[in-house]
Amino acid sequence: MEEYSLTLGAHLLLWVFPLVLVVLVIVEDLLDRFKSGSER
Amino acid sequence: MTPVDGSTLSTVAVVMVAYLGVLLFIGWRAAKRTHGGEDFHLAGRSLGAWSAGISSTASSESGWVTLGAVGMTFNYGVSGLWYAPGCLLGYLVNVYILAPRLRPLSANQGSVTLTDVITRRWGDPRNVLRLTATTIILVCMMGYVAAQMTAAGKAFSSSLGFEGRSGYILGVVIGAVVIILVTSLGGFRAVAWTDLFQGLLVAIALIALPLYAIAHLGGFGALIENLGAIDPNFLSAGGGRIGPALWGFIIGQLGIGLGYPGMPHVITRYMAARDDRQVQRLQVIAMFWGVAVFYGAGLIGLAGRVMLPNLADGEQALMAIALQLVHPVLAGLLLAAVISAILSTVSSQLLVAASAVSYDVVEETLGKASDDRRSLILGRWTVAVVGLLGILVALSEVRLVFWFVLFAWSGLGAAFAPLILLALMRRGVNRHGALAAMLTGTGVTVAWKLGRDAATSPEIFARVWWMALLAAVAIFVIGRLTRAFDWGDHVAVAAAASLTVISWWLVQLWGLDNLYELVPAFFLAGFAALAVSAVTKDDKPASE
Repeated sequence: MEEYSLTLGAHLLLWVFPLVLVVLVIVEDLLDRFKSGSER
Repeated sequence: MTPVDGSTLSTVAVVMVAYLGVLLFIGWRAAKRTHGGEDFHLAGRSLGAWSAGISSTASSESGWVTLGAVGMTFNYGVSGLWYAPGCLLGYLVNVYILAPRLRPLSANQGSVTLTDVITRRWGDPRNVLRLTATTIILVCMMGYVAAQMTAAGKAFSSSLGFEGRSGYILGVVIGAVVIILVTSLGGFRAVAWTDLFQGLLVAIALIALPLYAIAHLGGFGALIENLGAIDPNFLSAGGGRIGPALWGFIIGQLGIGLGYPGMPHVITRYMAARDDRQVQRLQVIAMFWGVAVFYGAGLIGLAGRVMLPNLADGEQALMAIALQLVHPVLAGLLLAAVISAILSTVSSQLLVAASAVSYDVVEETLGKASDDRRSLILGRWTVAVVGLLGILVALSEVRLVFWFVLFAWSGLGAAFAPLILLALMRRGVNRHGALAAMLTGTGVTVAWKLGRDAATSPEIFARVWWMALLAAVAIFVIGRLTRAFDWGDHVAVAAAASLTVISWWLVQLWGLDNLYELVPAFFLAGFAALAVSAVTKDDKPASE
């Protein structure tokens, strides 16, 4: 039976992009909290 | 879809009734806290991060996310997912660039609607900007509301087992009456709270169902194997497209995101946030919701393709999986999620359309109902009247209205997104530039869409000339008769008419009919704002 797999572009589109985005959002939020904490 | 047995339908109906009951309860609670005009139109600027964040995202997505987005990956495989980065880039611009600037600006101005923000930002001595913005919003929103009511009617009738034309009418009326009641009683607060409830329901459904479906198929590897066996192109990001067709498709899908900053029913949520801290918190909430919902919908489409290969309409994959493969109570919740996605948008758009009439036209332009209690009563009655009009249009199925809906997202996005971003981020634009941006965005959207359609219908050629010319002449005549226009407004109209016709030529000459109209309309509207402002720069902005 022939084996199928995602192409590189499909990997990027399907899971790499959302994963990177979620990590960046979390990092940005943590930096914000850290900044507002140190301002207090 | 395969016929569903009676006991499943009964269980689903019970869950649906409970869901509608929750909406009415939320509307009643919100009504008790709504005492005046600003309460009704903007929840008294009191929203927390969760209600502002989820309400902004849930109201932006409509039934498209549970039907259309699912259909995209069902039909095109992984390449159908390009809408997800497009929409998420739009979310990024909205929550990280627009929201932190818009909330304090609108609070300082005391503005209540998007139109209010624009007119107070640049000054509007003869209500030219206010009436132009209100007309664009009303035309786009009314078509949108009617189309969403139609979609809700179809979803209700199929999930409750209603049949035929009378079943469809009953479905439209049930959904619309509940939403009109909730919105007219509780105003913005009721809409935001019901959006929060419905948005969470949609997110839970779109996280849980793909996990269940992929487990049912034997894991992610099995899903990929099965998709590849159906069509190897399903496993690539291009989906087998090449050349201009590929780039037109990708840029068009990414371009969907350009519309988000211009959606009045979305960005008023940021204006209603309690303080800057809430805006900061809603950024994470909105982004997580977006990732979960867009990728959840995409995975359901992929799984649906393997699980239900004979399904004729891919957009029905979520409903089909719900009715055929899960427990009836869960099926009821999943169908409630489908309808939630639709109703959360209807209520938000209904409120925006009603605010455009009651606040922007009656209160601000005509100067009536200035006291708070009368403003509330006027707002409530306007929602009821606009909602009933929406039901009539939905039931009559006027083709022209649904033709307008094709432009609603791109028309609103092109008319307002570049303008509101310029308002928040750049000095040097004046009220004539603002007028040019709104007219150019709308005109280019219509011309580009018609230009794309002309590839199959050559008779459209002559109409664009006539439409652009007639629209420009009509605007000039109205401006003359009402003595509302000064020379800068004439420059704005002339620039918009010229760019509209030029854009139509560009589609023809360069063969750009693969490109989604929002992309050129957005950039040409921004260009028009800057160019007309530069030409008429003697008129200083009214406020910075």
